[in-house]
Amino acid sequence: MSIIFNNVRIIKDGMFFPSQKVLVENGEITMVGSNIHKNVDKIIDCKQKYLIPGLIDAHSHIGLTESYSYNDDTSEIYSEFTPQLRPLDGIKMRDKALDDARRAGITSTLVCPSSNLPIAGVCSILKTNGNSADVGLIVEQAGILMSFGELPKITSQKNQTANSTRMSIAASIREELMKVQDYSISKQNKKSSRDRNFEFEALLPLIRGEVPMRACAHRAEDIMTAIRIAEEFDLKIVIEYGTEAHLLADILAEKQIPVVLGPSLIPRIRYELNEKTFESAKILMDAGVKVALTCDSPGLAVETLRIAAAMAVQYGLDERRALSAITVYPAEILGIEERVGKIRKGYDGDLALFSGHPLDIRSRMEALCIDGDLYVYSDDIKVENGL
Amino acid sequence: MKTVLEKGQIFYQGKFQELEKLIIENDKIAEISIVSNKLKKGKALPAATKKKSDEIVETIDCTGKYIVPGFIDPHTHISLEQDGIGHADSDTNEVFGLVTPQIKAYDAVKMRDKAFKDAINGGITTVMITPGSANPIGGQACIVKTFGRLIDECCIKDSCAMKFAFGENPKGVYGNQKKFPSTRMGTAAVIREWLMKTQDYLKRKKNKEFKERDIKLEALIPLIEGKIPVRAHAHQADDIITAYRIAQEFNLDIVFDHCTEGHLISKELGKWKAKAVVGPSLTGRSKPEVAHKSFETPKILTDEGCVVALTTDYPVISIEALNVTAALAVKYGLNEDKAIKCLTENAAFILGLDKRLGKIEVGFDADIVVWNGHPLDTRSNPNYVFIDGIKALERK
Repeated sequence: MSIIFNNVRIIKDGMFFPSQKVLVENGEITMVGSNIHKNVDKIIDCKQKYLIPGLIDAHSHIGLTESYSYNDDTSEIYSEFTPQLRPLDGIKMRDKALDDARRAGITSTLVCPSSNLPIAGVCSILKTNGNSADVGLIVEQAGILMSFGELPKITSQKNQTANSTRMSIAASIREELMKVQDYSISKQNKKSSRDRNFEFEALLPLIRGEVPMRACAHRAEDIMTAIRIAEEFDLKIVIEYGTEAHLLADILAEKQIPVVLGPSLIPRIRYELNEKTFESAKILMDAGVKVALTCDSPGLAVETLRIAAAMAVQYGLDERRALSAITVYPAEILGIEERVGKIRKGYDGDLALFSGHPLDIRSRMEALCIDGDLYVYSDDIKVENGL
Repeated sequence: MKTVLEKGQIFYQGKFQELEKLIIENDKIAEISIVSNKLKKGKALPAATKKKSDEIVETIDCTGKYIVPGFIDPHTHISLEQDGIGHADSDTNEVFGLVTPQIKAYDAVKMRDKAFKDAINGGITTVMITPGSANPIGGQACIVKTFGRLIDECCIKDSCAMKFAFGENPKGVYGNQKKFPSTRMGTAAVIREWLMKTQDYLKRKKNKEFKERDIKLEALIPLIEGKIPVRAHAHQADDIITAYRIAQEFNLDIVFDHCTEGHLISKELGKWKAKAVVGPSLTGRSKPEVAHKSFETPKILTDEGCVVALTTDYPVISIEALNVTAALAVKYGLNEDKAIKCLTENAAFILGLDKRLGKIEVGFDADIVVWNGHPLDTRSNPNYVFIDGIKALERK
């Protein structure tokens, strides 16, 4: 199966160049340029529209909440810790949310359990195509979601469990990590024939530094607490949400800790969101922090990812970096930058075609390609069969 | 950076004296000279710290002003009840925990809280922040300067003491949850049980008999080893004595917090050379165990030889009122200079920082407040507050 996108504008160094061609063969981009002549299965005349890499939302709960129902599979709110949870076991790939994600141009996303518990579970990176989550799976164990601040406090207060203060959330996470450290050491000793612990097994890749702690934190001090814990246990860390991260831009830049920023479009519904500003992305990036934008679907409608980037532009960020914050940067933060996030030879065939500039909210989503699977949304786009 | 204070009354060596010159270099006090005794100059700091410092010199004329060490409140909960948000976002007490030695106030402190500004306005430059008194074993307290962006940058000790609570608070919290302990006996039993566990744990740890650490017992080890003190929340005389009894059994260093009925057992406290953090005296008699609250307590305990500091227990009372509590102690008989020591030297001693804070001495931290009147006159205001040599407040 091969597709050629003719007559498109594609982005190079922040500028859109017209009259380009992109060839996708067997789900992979094989040629990019103005001069491609090849017999293909499908030919699309794109009429100088805008082709960008498929968008990436680096933090979502897509598919875990069932649309039109109260069927919520995001969180085991009656437990204290659930590192053993895996999103693949809860995702409904045929849910309306996946349609919405595709309509929004999103081709890859990190799916996480919800941030209600201090240790919430495994995060997985997957594509938004396919009938089964396994089809588009990129990485199943892509980090452990941890949560600081008001959300776990609220959950704990409701359940009357001992994580109702910031102090004890930090202490409980430390306790669990300490246990896993000891577990890991005793496991290396092959003489010991202890039974495996299911929770600790899920945390081993984290303790070994193979995957990052994805720390949900809004308040600046909560972000610092997460960083302290990561440093104490020698963990990799990514800050999720980061509502007040801009207050720590210098520290995050120095420590090279990336931020998955958002969801900026929600109102200030909790005290820890008071300092929320659309300038965050610019402040952080100017300081040298790597930033991806997220809409935390279903916290916000998944279609608002582009709006988040456009709002950052409205508040001073340049278009190149704003677009990168929903394509290249999330790919880098997720550690999948060798596969997605760019229109380049050898990359996955993940492409989104817009009628106008992708950061102009009025631009229509015309067609989407995920691993070579083609979705056409506009009558304006004619797909001709070649050969 | 160099700041020179000239003239004015300085609280030096336990009394107010006429200042000739005080030099702050970077974050330390470098030189002091007093008019009455010009020869008694402090030693200058070694050359290494002196470098570059001559470039910027600010001279402040303090004629008519009172210069005192920054006050210390050795028992607060600043920012654990953040910015007056109240219970909706409170971090003071882990009321579902019972025994929580592993939790650290450090992890919940927010330097942006308005109370830190209030503290500076009240001439307070150092505070201890501790978890609340809901749990028999409540967690680890920390000591911070009141000026800075993040606790990571202005903390002096991240774990300076272990909080224990006796009397009505723990039994009330867990009694209301229909759980153990709902009596004073129960509270004491919980504490003893965990101290005993820690002793055994430590013994096994030294023998390398085990492989799995327990975070709670790990947190209690410094206490058992005498590296940090117990801060015993106790109002009622009998609770103070219970706390002392347990401390003796396990050979712990102990500080009595609140010590509301201390004056009723002053002879005992004096004999023990007790360290007491008295307050918050400005509250009403809100529960049975504070019914005998008295403003005379600081004087009586001081007379018996105890080391007394005062506290606002913020947010129980407003942090700027720390000097008011000292003024009230003076009103009830405490010598004025001793009252100032309660807010400075004694508090530093209780926090184990008497080599660094609480006095204006060469080599000490440059935490200095210049008041426009006597610091125990409630109408007075600080004109300047220096914390680590940085001007945290200037009000001309």
